[in-house]
Amino acid sequence: MRMTKEPGSAHSGLSDWYWQRLSAVVLALLLPLPFFLLVAVYTGSVDQQGLLDILDHVVSRLLHTILIMALIVHAYAGLKVIIEDYVHIVAWRIPLIGVMLVMMSMFGIWWLAMIWAWI
Amino acid sequence: MPYRPKNPQGPLSPRLSIYRWHVGMVASIGHRISGLVLVLFVPLYLWLLRGMTGSEDNFGIVSAWLHSGLGKVSIWLVGVSLIYHFCNGVRFLAIDAGWGDSRDSMRLSARVVIFVTVFAALLLAVML
Repeated sequence: MRMTKEPGSAHSGLSDWYWQRLSAVVLALLLPLPFFLLVAVYTGSVDQQGLLDILDHVVSRLLHTILIMALIVHAYAGLKVIIEDYVHIVAWRIPLIGVMLVMMSMFGIWWLAMIWAWI
Repeated sequence: MPYRPKNPQGPLSPRLSIYRWHVGMVASIGHRISGLVLVLFVPLYLWLLRGMTGSEDNFGIVSAWLHSGLGKVSIWLVGVSLIYHFCNGVRFLAIDAGWGDSRDSMRLSARVVIFVTVFAALLLAVML
């Protein structure tokens, strides 16, 4: 195998790539579940009480938490690559990635707070 | 090779206007577009989740919105994006693992993924 001599400022070519795949596998297993639940509520096969019974179960909360963490890792990796590909001016690129990170953290904290606040 | 800052006026990395389009490119750019749609859906998902787990009135408002035209289009769009991103993601993982990474099988699998997505899009449109 040909080795890369200059891995760039990240000092490793593996980390981002590896985390993107790891989170992808987690999301492939977990992300369809809330979509099915949304459709079930839409069609009326699950009412509000049923939805709450599913969501506030401790297993659902744990799975939801893992989902959020994998989603943030995966969305960060994906959006970062898109920004790096299309935004070439470094003075724009770095603030954009920073803003993205701050917004994702805010949504993540809000989301986690919501999930663990249900009684 | 030392890093040299690029000319800001130079072509962007995926040179879409220069390359000849083929199915692998469509599959790749579709992965980015569907990924963006899924990220943009997150704030809406939080709003839906908060409404649905709130009071009965909140649940009613969210439920009514879901059944409005905009709500149906949103569910359809996020459903199609999810199915595409899922199928093409599995395809990417398989290619990374070295399964089906010849040029012909990559083009064939791209066609299969696009076909499955179009089929699912039609099915979802009929169901909603």
